[in-house]
This record gives sequence, C-alpha cells and structure tokens, in this order.
Amino acid sequence: MAVVRKNIAAMTSAEKTAFINALWQLKTGSANGRNYNWYIDQHITYFARTNDNISHAHQSPSFFPWHREYLRLLELDLQTVSGNPAVFIPYWDWTGWASPFTADFLGAITNGSVSSGNFSPSWSWTMYRSSIATNFLQRRVGQNASRPTAAQVNTVQSYTVYDQSPWNASVSNSYRNRNEIELHNRVHNYVGGHMATREAPNDPVFWLHHCNIDRLWWQWQNSRGIDTYQPRTGFTAGVIDNNETMHPFGAGRTPSAVRDITPLGYSYA
Amino acid sequence: MTDMRRRDVLRYSAAGAVTAATTLFGVQALASPNSAREPEKAAPNDPRDFDETYKGKKIKGKHNIGGKDELHINNQKLALTVISTLFVPEDGSEPYVAMAYISAINHYDPVEIDDSKNKGGLKKLAQKVIDMLGDLELSNEAAQAHSH
Repeated sequence: MAVVRKNIAAMTSAEKTAFINALWQLKTGSANGRNYNWYIDQHITYFARTNDNISHAHQSPSFFPWHREYLRLLELDLQTVSGNPAVFIPYWDWTGWASPFTADFLGAITNGSVSSGNFSPSWSWTMYRSSIATNFLQRRVGQNASRPTAAQVNTVQSYTVYDQSPWNASVSNSYRNRNEIELHNRVHNYVGGHMATREAPNDPVFWLHHCNIDRLWWQWQNSRGIDTYQPRTGFTAGVIDNNETMHPFGAGRTPSAVRDITPLGYSYA
Repeated sequence: MTDMRRRDVLRYSAAGAVTAATTLFGVQALASPNSAREPEKAAPNDPRDFDETYKGKKIKGKHNIGGKDELHINNQKLALTVISTLFVPEDGSEPYVAMAYISAINHYDPVEIDDSKNKGGLKKLAQKVIDMLGDLELSNEAAQAHSH
C-alpha cells in the first residue's frame, strides 16, 4: 500500500500513536526476519568502510540512496509488525515550529536521560550497543549545535553538482556533501546525546530526521533530475556506483533502483 | 627524519588542506616499516600529550607516530578515526578542508587535529566528549575501532 509521509506538524494523534506503537512492537518483537536492533547493527557496520573497502552509508555518494533504502525497509517492517499497512515514517522539518519531543510522541525530556514516558526503559526502550554507559536514551537538544534555518536549507539545495571526486567528506562543490555536513550532521549534533553517536538509531527521531533529509533529496531530484546520481558507471574505487548493490541490502538494491520514490511505495505531503 | 621533525611537518606544513592530507599519508607511509616492528611507538615527550582532569574526569591523550593517537577518559579507551573533511564555519568565513578526529561519541562533529591553527585538537576532543557525556561514562563499545 502506498503511503504518504507527512510532516509531524500535520499528524493526527492516532497517526502518532500508530507510529510509536509500531516502533515498540519492532523493538520488542520482529518482522520479516528483522528487529529494531538489527537497524542499529547495520548503521554501526555500514558507517565504517567495510571489508569490501567501500563506504556505503556515510561520507560517500551513496549517503542518500543508502538511507532511502534503509528507511523504506523500516517502514515495511513497521507495517508488517503492526499489521497496519497505513503506518508511515513522518518527517521532521527542523526549520519549522513543530517539535517531535512531546509526551504523546517521542518523549518530552530533552536534557539528559529519557527516564520516564515514551522511549524510556519503563516503556521497554533500552539502549543497544551504546558507546555511552547507560540504558537510558540520552538527548541534549540545542546544547552542542543550532538547527539549520530555512535560508541555510535553500543555500544547500542550490548546489547543482550531485557529488564529485574525491567522493568523501572533503568535497566542497557537492550537493551530497553539503547536505550531509551542513544539514544532516548538524541536526544529529543539535539533538545530541545518542543522536550524536555512531549508534544514533537508538533514538527514534533518527527516522524523522532522515525522512526529512530524504524529502530534501527528492525535492532536489525534482528540480535537477531524478536520474542524477554520481558516479554513473564503472568501478570507482571505494564508493558505490549507480548500478552497484548497496550492502546490506539485497542484490539489485542499487542507487539507480531507488532513484524514484514512486515504485518504492511512498510519497511526500 | 627525527620524531620531532615528523611532527613539525604535520604541524606546520598545513598551508592548504590537500597539502595536509598528502603530508599525513606520506608520513604514515614513511612510518609503516618501523611501526611493523615497534607497534604504536610513542613520540617521546610530545608536548601535546596530556594527563589531567577536566570536569572531574581523568583525560589522557597520547600522540603516536603514524597518526594512531590515543585517548582515554576515566581509563576507558575512545577509539579514534581520522578523516579529511570539509569545515563550514558558522561565522560565515570561508569553508576549508582539514584532517579531523571522529569517534563513536562525536560521530557527526569532527574535531580538527593539531596544525598551525589549532594545536590542541586531541585535548579539545577530550573536552567535547566529556561535555557530551555529562555525568555518564564511556562504555566498552566506544573502544571499538572502525575506518572510513
């Protein structure tokens, strides 16, 4: 079933409840052979350069398509585990007024341990492979960085080159790297706590943040061309080419295969 | 090349980011035959090393030949990864590329390594990590290394 991914500001209270309940079910159960902690494992593994000498998920051109597939898979598992095909991943437009950190949604504590309410240990949400010695989800919202402004988003969206050599965190004239560093990294640091760490998907806001990043990439694609991934062909050392499979996803899950979101079963409102 | 001169190359040749990156890799290549025989040999008395207390936590930083610098916070190791990354200053000044540390804790917030502009990179990293930890400590997961 195709779903429309909404802004958190436009969600009904029933949609918020359905989303967090599905996360809880995936954390305490499993679907399609995966559970919630599987996603944390993949993020830790594929953040690094893996033994194929490729950076699949970060600091490389496949940053956008890797996370698009990662979110699509989670959305599928949330639908399966809840038996509700209408469940969708909402997006958090951090330039707007709506906050995901409320008692009825991702939890209201934004300064230290999420010690009660949604996403606390008493709600069966404990940390997995945490580099901080704690069972409690940590947040330090606004302590280490500020949110990007709408003007800063527009500046990043105006870069016309998708990506270019050396295809890493150092490339200057690159939409992918500008977005990854100036928008994506900054919001991880703005939330702080576990969102600032390698095991960031411990915080469910990870999905709302990456949903917004995916939405921005989709807007950029609609303006610059849907089939604009770089590098296109061949075997560029250390990175995923347009027709190369992204791990840990199955054969054929290439940047090219996820360039258009319509066949992936979702759209943005 | 003496240990001191190697460090000086690292510290003072970073006129441009690409130069800094090339120099680092060059030094690693030079140092690798030695490090095979004497793994993680420390540069003796590196003036940037520290062993002190910050906000009630013990921080210990050691600069090693070949870039494998070490950091411990309350005796827990924090594995460091060195990347070449773009910095976009929030004050609107010109973006630049430099070598920087990331770790499990500051995964999206690289801290620039010592060079002519910033001679206290490892200590600055230690302080940032403690500010991020608050009252908490590193776990054993933080010691797991990975490459980029």
